[in-house]
Amino acid sequence: MGRYIARRLLWVLLVVLLVTFFTFVIFFVIPPVDPAILFAGRAPSERLIAQVREAFGLDQPFLMQYGLFLKRIFLGDEYGWPGFGMSFVTRSPIREQFLDRAFVTMQLAVGAAVVWLVMGVLIGITSALKRGQWQDRVSMGFALFGVSAPVFWLGLMALYIFWEKLHWLPGTGYVPLSEDPSQWFLHFLLPWVVLALLFAAFYARMVRGSLLESFGQDWMRTARAKGLSERKVVFKHGLRASLTPVVSMFGVDLGTLLGGAIITETVFNLPGLGTYVVRSVQSGDIPVIMDVVVFAGLAVALMSLVADILYAMLDPRVRYS
Amino acid sequence: MRKNTLGALALLLSFALVVAACGDDDATTTTAAGGVATGGTFRMETDGIAYTSGGDPSGEYLGISFGIFTNLLARTLLTYYHTGGAEGNTLVPDLAEDFPVVSEDGLTYTFTLKDGIMFGPPLSREITSHDIEFAFRRMAVESVVAQYEFYYDGLINGLVLQETLPDSIAGIETPDDKTIIFNLTRISPDFVYLVAMPATAPQPEEVAGCFMDATYGRYVISSGPYMYEGTDELDASSCEALTASGPISGFDPANHSYFVRNPDYDAATDDPEVRANHVDRIEIDLNTNIQDTFAKIKAGELDGAVSSGNPPADVLQDYSTDPALQDRLKSGGDDRTWYITLNLTAAPFDDVHIRRAANLIMDKAGILQAWGGDISGIVATHIQPPALSGLGADYDPYATEGSRGDLAAAQEEMKLSAYDTDGDGMCDAPECSGVILINRASGPWIEAEAVVVASLAKIGITVEVREVTDHYTQIQTIANNIPIGMNAGWGKDFPDSSSFVGFLFDGRGIKAEGNYNYSLVGLTEAQAAALGVEFGVTPSVDADIDECKTIALTDEQGGLDCWNNLDKRLMEEIVPWIPYLWPNILTTIGPAVTAWDFDQFSGVTAFSKVAVDPSLQN
Amino acid sequence: MTAVTGGSGQHSEAPVGPIAVTAEVIGRSPWQLFVARFRQDHVALGALGFLALLVIVALLAPWIADNVVHHGPNDLFIHEPVKMVNEFGLPLGPNEQFWFGADRSGRDLFVRVLYGARTSLIVGVVATGFAVVVGVTLGMIAGYFGGWRDTLISRTTDIILSFPLLLFAIGIVGACSSSPEGCFGGLIKPGLQLVIFVIALFSWPNIARVVRGNTLSLREQEFVDANRSLGAGNFTIIFRELLPNLVAPIIVYSTLLIPSNIIFEAALSFLGMGVPQTVPSWGRQLSEAAGVFRVAWWMMFFPGMFLFATTLGFNLVGDGLRDALDPRTGR
Repeated sequence: MGRYIARRLLWVLLVVLLVTFFTFVIFFVIPPVDPAILFAGRAPSERLIAQVREAFGLDQPFLMQYGLFLKRIFLGDEYGWPGFGMSFVTRSPIREQFLDRAFVTMQLAVGAAVVWLVMGVLIGITSALKRGQWQDRVSMGFALFGVSAPVFWLGLMALYIFWEKLHWLPGTGYVPLSEDPSQWFLHFLLPWVVLALLFAAFYARMVRGSLLESFGQDWMRTARAKGLSERKVVFKHGLRASLTPVVSMFGVDLGTLLGGAIITETVFNLPGLGTYVVRSVQSGDIPVIMDVVVFAGLAVALMSLVADILYAMLDPRVRYS
Repeated sequence: MRKNTLGALALLLSFALVVAACGDDDATTTTAAGGVATGGTFRMETDGIAYTSGGDPSGEYLGISFGIFTNLLARTLLTYYHTGGAEGNTLVPDLAEDFPVVSEDGLTYTFTLKDGIMFGPPLSREITSHDIEFAFRRMAVESVVAQYEFYYDGLINGLVLQETLPDSIAGIETPDDKTIIFNLTRISPDFVYLVAMPATAPQPEEVAGCFMDATYGRYVISSGPYMYEGTDELDASSCEALTASGPISGFDPANHSYFVRNPDYDAATDDPEVRANHVDRIEIDLNTNIQDTFAKIKAGELDGAVSSGNPPADVLQDYSTDPALQDRLKSGGDDRTWYITLNLTAAPFDDVHIRRAANLIMDKAGILQAWGGDISGIVATHIQPPALSGLGADYDPYATEGSRGDLAAAQEEMKLSAYDTDGDGMCDAPECSGVILINRASGPWIEAEAVVVASLAKIGITVEVREVTDHYTQIQTIANNIPIGMNAGWGKDFPDSSSFVGFLFDGRGIKAEGNYNYSLVGLTEAQAAALGVEFGVTPSVDADIDECKTIALTDEQGGLDCWNNLDKRLMEEIVPWIPYLWPNILTTIGPAVTAWDFDQFSGVTAFSKVAVDPSLQN
Repeated sequence: MTAVTGGSGQHSEAPVGPIAVTAEVIGRSPWQLFVARFRQDHVALGALGFLALLVIVALLAPWIADNVVHHGPNDLFIHEPVKMVNEFGLPLGPNEQFWFGADRSGRDLFVRVLYGARTSLIVGVVATGFAVVVGVTLGMIAGYFGGWRDTLISRTTDIILSFPLLLFAIGIVGACSSSPEGCFGGLIKPGLQLVIFVIALFSWPNIARVVRGNTLSLREQEFVDANRSLGAGNFTIIFRELLPNLVAPIIVYSTLLIPSNIIFEAALSFLGMGVPQTVPSWGRQLSEAAGVFRVAWWMMFFPGMFLFATTLGFNLVGDGLRDALDPRTGR
């Protein structure tokens, strides 16, 4: 087990390195805005541009710059560890802003995850148990809807109906929990549900599929033959087996969302990492982009590692090879 | 000579009043009469203040920052009455006891400082002439990126951009703590406007000197009635201590600006007509969703907005059509022209007939509609806005019915062009298709884009639009040789034509990057060679600019006729622009607001003139 | 991709493992079985009919614009006598002449939505086409040859799939759109071409994974061995034996990839990083609607409905194809 985790961690590190490397390539080989000109103001002299380049290490060869960037991330900078660096645009340390926004994204992702897990698993079980009946058809119709409806359209429609027309919910934006718990909840409700719908649909399909598959397995028949009640068979044996793939998928999905749910944050105007990175791409704020990419890569890799370990614990058939 | 110069100066100032009065009768003012209560918090949201320098007063260049500094944080030798209309473009002594004493040769300006003006915490010490001198010395350092240092460069004797902080500047003398003397290299009546710019506000060397890389923004020590919340928590004993104790918690350019009263500000040194300072606290929070912001204002959850543009069209419609809300829609004139820039060196706009035809075909009324309709401004017909020049929309060299463009007239003009190869009034040479047009990636430019594209298509010019975020960089980089851009606008830096036509079309100011003469008027062969570009010589108005500047020295109206003639010549002979809009600045205020004013100089809410009734706030 | 584009990305390929191509029953080829099963799926057939209709409408969009509604996609109706914006520049809603109302620029939204179908279909099909060509080639190489080639290709797909894809796409589009020449020395120009390139770049690994899995299981089957022992070269085996057996799964997964790519384009356009305004796109129309949806519901409703119906159609057809291919997953 220990060796397995160590090997997986090395893989995580490799993936993050490669992801950052390619991000670096993209934004340095074809930068949207020359940071030196961005920084040098509206009447730049050649000398000043040269100075700025030097100050940010932009005059260094490509690999050297990449090395400096890695050093900053892993060894920290003057603002602490890990080194988030300094924004080209606001000229201030990224750290505080980044952590604030990561917290918003985390609230969005975790809340949505709870919603979709509950919805997905319940719908999946219902439709597997009622296979072929109307409950099944409604559930799978819902799943198809969730898979097909674009988040940005769902979000706008939901806002139009529940905010503009029915006045049930407040508008968009972020209210901290510490400021006003009920407003916090009401502001997050739509983003959670809209974001969760898509995932709930996938999870419902998956749970249904693997439950149905497990019903046909030998050990399920054995359990039935032992005289266990149908309820017990389903919940104790079938569900456990069919939840294992959910666990491993959940890890990756949550990890991906922690790196920023760009569209949902844009529609609902949440100051998370997703909106941060879109703005930074537009303004050419490369240090911010790199920070978010590293964070997102790490989040995916680590969460899927955790999920794999859990998976292994849930399903003894898996060998660490 | 002395009398002459001073007389011209005084007349210039009074004339600015008259001229501005012509164009700004619609500026709304809620009079801050004696009855306004003090106290409370004025709550605002912004969709993103476009900082040009992270809040560093030396480098901040755009209107919102000018408003924040001149109202709240930074007092300058002279300043403006922070109000709407003509009065808001009028200078008034601020740090200085009076207007400067100008020497007989017109080259030396002497200011005497008022007593009892202090820097706020953590310094809490008297402001001296050395602090003003330091602002100029700091401005001269390249790494500070003082965005409008060029106004002073070469004008003040010995002030040139350099790598390190100069010990002194030959043209700035501080014989004692209360006196500062400027020696100019040439007669420049507009110098008085230059000492009202925020970059010239006093900066304490013991703090600002620690941040020579343009990062003073988050350590700004206030000289005005308010300061960033948490400024008093800075430890100014050394640069290291400053960095360790900072940055100021109340200012995060990407998040919020919170202002509280500066305990060291003495209202007796100020004029309530300049700064009234009713409220105890001003909050500006970032919220990129303007719909949300204006909804909160309507509901009384906010008192105002600091928006980068006007409220969205649905909000304007709502406030204009609902009698209960009408009083809460505020507007002010913006001394600015929005225009489409035409590059004199890029085909097909290198032909004056094409440029004229493009002016004639442009559906300016359609553009205005896309900007939000009549409430948003008036159709621009020439370069300088009426409030600045006194020349109104009645001068329209390309007048068309209803300003919708005139196909017949445009085609007549087109027929004169070589790009119309068969003389049918349509641009049909290969150069006429796929012309790159730069636009902003945001509204209202996006909404207006279809109108511009459709108008040009009527005379055979098909464009390929590039919507880009760094749109100015695109058209400011000469190597790009962008033929046409609809992203451009120019607002006065200070209320004088020398910061408008006198600045924008000076061929000698053309440079490879950060160029402002987008149309490349007056590009010489030598310049083209030096810039390494193949395109060549364009008509020049350099001589006209010099002539107007000379006339301005003695002319009672600051050479206004001359500048206006230059405007006309540009529009008729050179045609570098399609001017389309002289905008109004619009915003809404919350129900709790009891006093509000527009700041003409910076084109935003006069932050120092607002008041609220906390009992009406939600 | 799923998370960020809100589309059905990697999940629609959820059972990534090999899909058993069920063996011959009563002499019918797997392909015949596949077709026969699909024909019985009425829902999927209905969806296919809808998609066919959509393609026809997209093809006929210029004709409909000229002859039915008499409004072009870029015609502006901003002045009397036909004025579809009000004095504040806000669009007016549906009426007899403008069935879907107008957009912010006073254009006929109905015509724009029809033209939007062209953009979505072109992007969906062309980008998926590129992705399939690349994905099938690499997937077969990885699955057939194994060894270092497999390691290289499989790890590359793993890594690409762990990229924050939408972010990368925004980055590349942003970077390539910043200068008129485009990027990679003018090879990729801003606009539709760039969007297709970016989407294809990020969607081939999905196909490659599936194809690799299927190739892997086919490789071990007897007929391949038999051919090899008869002296057939790698080339012959790949094109004569493997590819025909892979056609069905490839069709299934490309069908499921199309809606995902359509949403990808719409998402890019929604973020203002997609096709230019002159090219009507549903995503772009929704992005415009985001600012005014409270007073102009039609701008949000119609493009969104079309986008939704299209992705739903492809998903239904894709599901039907998958069920036909492997009835065990079926309903």
